[in-house]
Amino acid sequence: MIKSRSAMIFAWALLAPAILYVLIIVAWPLFETFRLSFTDASLRKVVNYVGWRNYEKIFNETFLTVITRTFIWTFFSVLLKMIIGMCGAVLLNASVPGRNIFRILTMPPWIVPMAIGIFMWGWMYNGQFGMISGLLQRFGLTDGPVAFLAYGSTAFWATIVTDVWIGVPMVTIYFLAAMQAIPKDLYEAAWTDGAGRWTRFRRITLPLMAPAIITMSMLSLIATFNSFDIIWILTQGGPSGQTTTMIIDTYNTAIGSKKYGEGAARAVVICLFLSMFCIAYFRIVRRLADPGKA
Amino acid sequence: MTTLFKRSLIGLALAGSTALPALAEDISWIYCGDRIDGVHEKYIAEWNAANPDFQVKPELVGWAQCQDKATTLAAAGSPVGLAYVGSRTLKEFALNELIVPVPMTEEEKAAYYPHIVDTVTFQDTQWGVPVAFSTKALYWNKDLFKAAGLDPETPPKTWAEEIEFAKIIKEKTGTPGYGLSAKTMDNTMHQFLHWIYTNNGKVIDAEDNIVLDSPENLAALQAYKDITPYSVEGATAYEQNEMRAIFLDGKVGMLQASAGTATRLAETDINWGVTTLPLGPSATGPGTLLITDSLVVFAGTGVEEKATEFAKYITSPDIQIQYEMSPDAGLTPLRPRPEVEELVKNTPFWKPYIDGIEYGGPEPLFTDYKGLQNVMIEMVQSVVTGAAEPQAALTKAAAALEEYK
Repeated sequence: MIKSRSAMIFAWALLAPAILYVLIIVAWPLFETFRLSFTDASLRKVVNYVGWRNYEKIFNETFLTVITRTFIWTFFSVLLKMIIGMCGAVLLNASVPGRNIFRILTMPPWIVPMAIGIFMWGWMYNGQFGMISGLLQRFGLTDGPVAFLAYGSTAFWATIVTDVWIGVPMVTIYFLAAMQAIPKDLYEAAWTDGAGRWTRFRRITLPLMAPAIITMSMLSLIATFNSFDIIWILTQGGPSGQTTTMIIDTYNTAIGSKKYGEGAARAVVICLFLSMFCIAYFRIVRRLADPGKA
Repeated sequence: MTTLFKRSLIGLALAGSTALPALAEDISWIYCGDRIDGVHEKYIAEWNAANPDFQVKPELVGWAQCQDKATTLAAAGSPVGLAYVGSRTLKEFALNELIVPVPMTEEEKAAYYPHIVDTVTFQDTQWGVPVAFSTKALYWNKDLFKAAGLDPETPPKTWAEEIEFAKIIKEKTGTPGYGLSAKTMDNTMHQFLHWIYTNNGKVIDAEDNIVLDSPENLAALQAYKDITPYSVEGATAYEQNEMRAIFLDGKVGMLQASAGTATRLAETDINWGVTTLPLGPSATGPGTLLITDSLVVFAGTGVEEKATEFAKYITSPDIQIQYEMSPDAGLTPLRPRPEVEELVKNTPFWKPYIDGIEYGGPEPLFTDYKGLQNVMIEMVQSVVTGAAEPQAALTKAAAALEEYK
């Protein structure tokens, strides 16, 4: 009894720093954000409790548009990352000469500091000096410079493309690792039975990679939903708010306009969405780990 | 044991009480930029030598974070002694009691160019000391004027001429005639305010009434719409420095820009000229938006009085003029002085920057300047992208501004 009690104390002592860390870095700011969301906190020194007013205020037409835009932005970004990541993994897994060099070449978007990569894309999208506009003009596809960040529709897709460029290497490497874990004899047996490349990919690779695809999709969804840097550096949510996602809107409200209470309410809404994604992710992971319970 | 505990507490309290004043007497200064200007460095050292009990400790913070850092610290209850901020924030800071007033004497006010003191005045008192000043003038590319068949020595004097010249340049050379920037950035609002102040317009009057929806401002927004087809394609993708880069590359005919552009142009092969901003139909004289940055003294530091004294010292006429004349500063002088006359004589490109001051207007003071900025940017973008007509955009913006005044 004494031994087990001291073992328990020892275990708690080992856990204490981690628990303290989580309480200070995660739990306390979360609690504070939640508390702030029910106040009219701003630059004023007096802070009043305002009940649900901040939440009532944010659920207007504009914010609903922002929520919809965030989901569309996230959906296409994650989808493209998964598709391109899968194609990349298949190519890198193929027995071609110089395969290791190709693997290394996949990494730069991941290695280059994110801000630098985004600024680079900003220049590429520039209508006057940008590479993309220059190439389009050279090949006669446009009759003048095209400023991709000038219009809502093109700016929206430009930010997605940049996010995909940054996110693809991680997806590719993850998928490649999962692909390499598939036993070779399955492919050999299928080949002996006359299955072609596409059939082998569809019937062996995809089903066996399903856990990796689902896991990666969920993780990517969480990270992309909260993506700030790309849109902020490229467009700051413009033009006319057409690339403003929930996180940009929250930043503009809380830090830009210094309406800390309203900003906190927006942050809580983001937190709720992310919590739902996380719960879904953990459920899926549990099912994948124990298919019998499904 | 109890005695020991009590003694320890008393000891700690004594230690605290002796240590605190020494800490409180540092005047911390959030200094925006990537280096402290040599002139400021010199006079901070002089101040510190003369005031050993009130040492000024500047902390360098990059421009992008500078204002947010000072504001956040103040809002969190740990303000710095003084900070370098855009004067447009003064009303917001003052109403929230984050800063203390820095009243000027009549003599001090009279020393400045007209309207400069207005940029830091709210409720008849001053809330900051101007430390940096910026005005704009119109640059034109003489080579492009010549190529378009225009007289390279005759810049536009009115908006009508400016739009007409931009059209001719675009049609004759294929190069955009004007550099209109309308990205989601603060300077999009500033660029448009220059048009308002060259047509005798206003955003808010002295009684805090929103007067944006006026015939003068409508004319300005209509002119913006009219010049857009002859401007650099995709105005909403560029802020003023990006547009300046295009002008420096010789790919645009005209641009309204600050004095720093002249220094950069000297390093190019472009044949250029600079003049006062063209005027709208209701203008009474050459105008420009008057933007100042100020030194503000934060409340609750315990060193407000000394910080105010330092702010006035470091911006006193003799020191300020040295700062303004620093080769890298590129600042429009705040006060008329013999050195300014000498500057204009030696470097004539400064003349239009000074000439525009008399009929210029201060940046509007709002309680939520970010709100003002967002409304103005949205208004400009909706017009230049064709999403709204000028009158509709103006009316909508004027109504939206009521929330932020």
